[in-house]
Amino acid sequence: MNHIESTSDAVPQVHMLGRVMRRLKPMVLGAAGTVFLASCASNAPQDTWVPKGPNAQKIDSLQKPVFAVAGIIGVIVAVVVTYSVIKFRDRGQPIPKQSHGNPALEITLTIIPALILAVVGVFTFRTVFDLNKTSDTQMIINVTGQQWWWEYDYPANNEYGITQPIITSGQLVIPVGTKVMLRQTSRDVIHSYWIPALNGKRDAVPGRITINRLEADEPGIYAGQCTEFCGLSHANMRMEAVALSKEDFAKWVSNQLKTYAAPAENTLAKEGETVFLNQCTRCHQVNGLTRADGTPVIAAPDENVWSGAAPNLSHLMSRNTFAGAMFNLVTPECRTDVWKSESLTFGAKYLAGVDEPCLNQTDLRGWLRNAPAMKPMYANPALLAATGGKYRGMPNLGLSESDIEKLVAYLLTLK
Amino acid sequence: MFTPGSKYLIAITGLSAVSFALYMLLVHPSALGAVALIGLVAATSLITGVALFTRDGHTPEGQTSAATVDTPTPSMWPLIAAAGLSLVLVGTVTTPIVFILGIVAILAALVEWTVQAWSESASGDRSYNEGIRERILNPVEYPILAAVGIAVIIFSFSRVMLAISKDAGAIIFIVAAAVISLVGLLISVRPQLKKSIVSAIAVVAAIGLVGAGIASMGFGMREDLVVAAEEDHYSHQECGAEKSDHFDKGVSETISATSGADATIELLDGKLTAQVQGIEGLQDSITVRRSNPSNIIFRNKDAGEFRLKAYLGKKQIADGVSEDLITCTQLISEGAEQWLTLTINKPSVSGEPYTLSIPGLEGQSIVVVVP
Repeated sequence: MNHIESTSDAVPQVHMLGRVMRRLKPMVLGAAGTVFLASCASNAPQDTWVPKGPNAQKIDSLQKPVFAVAGIIGVIVAVVVTYSVIKFRDRGQPIPKQSHGNPALEITLTIIPALILAVVGVFTFRTVFDLNKTSDTQMIINVTGQQWWWEYDYPANNEYGITQPIITSGQLVIPVGTKVMLRQTSRDVIHSYWIPALNGKRDAVPGRITINRLEADEPGIYAGQCTEFCGLSHANMRMEAVALSKEDFAKWVSNQLKTYAAPAENTLAKEGETVFLNQCTRCHQVNGLTRADGTPVIAAPDENVWSGAAPNLSHLMSRNTFAGAMFNLVTPECRTDVWKSESLTFGAKYLAGVDEPCLNQTDLRGWLRNAPAMKPMYANPALLAATGGKYRGMPNLGLSESDIEKLVAYLLTLK
Repeated sequence: MFTPGSKYLIAITGLSAVSFALYMLLVHPSALGAVALIGLVAATSLITGVALFTRDGHTPEGQTSAATVDTPTPSMWPLIAAAGLSLVLVGTVTTPIVFILGIVAILAALVEWTVQAWSESASGDRSYNEGIRERILNPVEYPILAAVGIAVIIFSFSRVMLAISKDAGAIIFIVAAAVISLVGLLISVRPQLKKSIVSAIAVVAAIGLVGAGIASMGFGMREDLVVAAEEDHYSHQECGAEKSDHFDKGVSETISATSGADATIELLDGKLTAQVQGIEGLQDSITVRRSNPSNIIFRNKDAGEFRLKAYLGKKQIADGVSEDLITCTQLISEGAEQWLTLTINKPSVSGEPYTLSIPGLEGQSIVVVVP
């Protein structure tokens, strides 16, 4: 009696379900189509399926067969489940005879996945150990993450002409065909360094040093992204690895080791240097910059910034990005010219740095005018109680348009 | 009008009010004293008021009503609520932990008191009412009491272990474990043992342990732990005569240290050299990140005891007056190693480099470069 009652209730429910399914069908198909078409995007600099170095290639060689196996199993499971749901859906029929236990089937369904996982495990372990090999390292670079940018310092290494340590940020410059070891850590919270085309991701943890290896096959720029949620501007904490031929890398090193050249007297850039001294050196270091009395300027970001550091702006115009690689320092046209250039001409174009015609004046001036308006940061002076009055990010300095004009002229001299 | 009891209470209230006034006017008052005396005045005033209102609780004969026949069960929760309130008052002027304890006591009293009062009006059967109360509160009371009991026992035991010598600690551990095993064995082989005897053994042991813990707290930690705490062995400052005896020898084994060595500094045949991971050969300089703790391993391979000294620039202590910022490892013997953690906030300036050196060993130093 109860069964008949439930059947009569179920009929309208089945009809309603059918109507809902008919309405959802175009939406599901549309979403699936969008996802499928997105996979065909040509401008995807962080594509994980296009390795550009041996480390990324090892990961690729592992992930493609694993993805294929997982995909086939996933499709089989999805088809069987869908078939079962449709074929045996409730149409008011009596509940079929229930059975419990089928040892042969259960053992089979346990052994087959176990075997598949064992095979995948063997290859995964081999890849993990290969990726962690460090004995053949040719160059080390210290990578330090902080909210929300990356700092790179190159210890002295005579083999590559690095006679004095080099410090830079935003763009990691490496020579092609060189086994580079990144010694990563963080000054504040956990970050994660990932250049998909060159290797997998590796966390940068405060108080610890983690090892990451990069090697690029060809000159070019490889985009990356912090992949460990690290606070307000995590999505804007980007990075780029620039691979140069060994000759071009030597030129880059040579330029980074050049001593500071003060702007000529009675120029707008010289006035900009004064503005920089008064406003920016509290946090930003420019190596070689001196005060009027000749004493070297030592920035004190540890007294003003929660993480204890701000980007060193020496040779700023040799980079293509600023503000944690969130903004281009060059115009879109000039950037495209560098990014799309052939391997043979890439180095020369990158090493040309940023000159006035190529400078992205809009973003740079906007940044100098009000940085927190362009990148979310904890830089409101009224809301710094939790950090003891220290900023996380660059505050609005309240610069006048005249000061900005002078600063831009000065920054353009930092090649 | 005034009953005999209320007269005494009025006198006590007046006396405490006078005490409070004199304390505030004649003595240099502290916040704690003021709170204590005003609390006394408030408490005696309340009790006096109750005594006056109820006429000392005397009920004239023949006026007993049905409502007063079934008196509520005596309860400790009003007392605990009052104690909690006192702790809250004292905690506001002393330490937050006292305040928090007071809040916990008040909340516990409110819950228990409310449920108890509710259960007593559930029926006319007192045992049934008690059963209802237990069904509601026992699932909460037992785990909390068990956790508190375990915490008190562990805390008491830890105080004892901190007060006695290491050797005595080992013996006590062995003896205590043996006694517990024997008692457990006795109970298991004599299941007919009276419940009261087992309970008595447990209560005596717990009281003994808590008493020993309190006594140990009064006695204080043993001397070597006191000295070690005073030495602040995580930040050695003395780079001259050796003073520390109790530095943390296990610090080099911490996860962060073993996974984060920036360089290894080695003293061998009177020469100081540096090895950096990823760079082949011996170095005479190392690069250290700014504003970031950097771990340096110092390894002594020479005969004798040496320490590594780090010069980290100067610190201005007054106008025109500055002092060297120096930190050191302990003196370590041949074959030993120790770690030194440096945090350097400012980039190095040519002409005045940061250095690592060995006191007494001239001409040997490693330059520390901070980009």
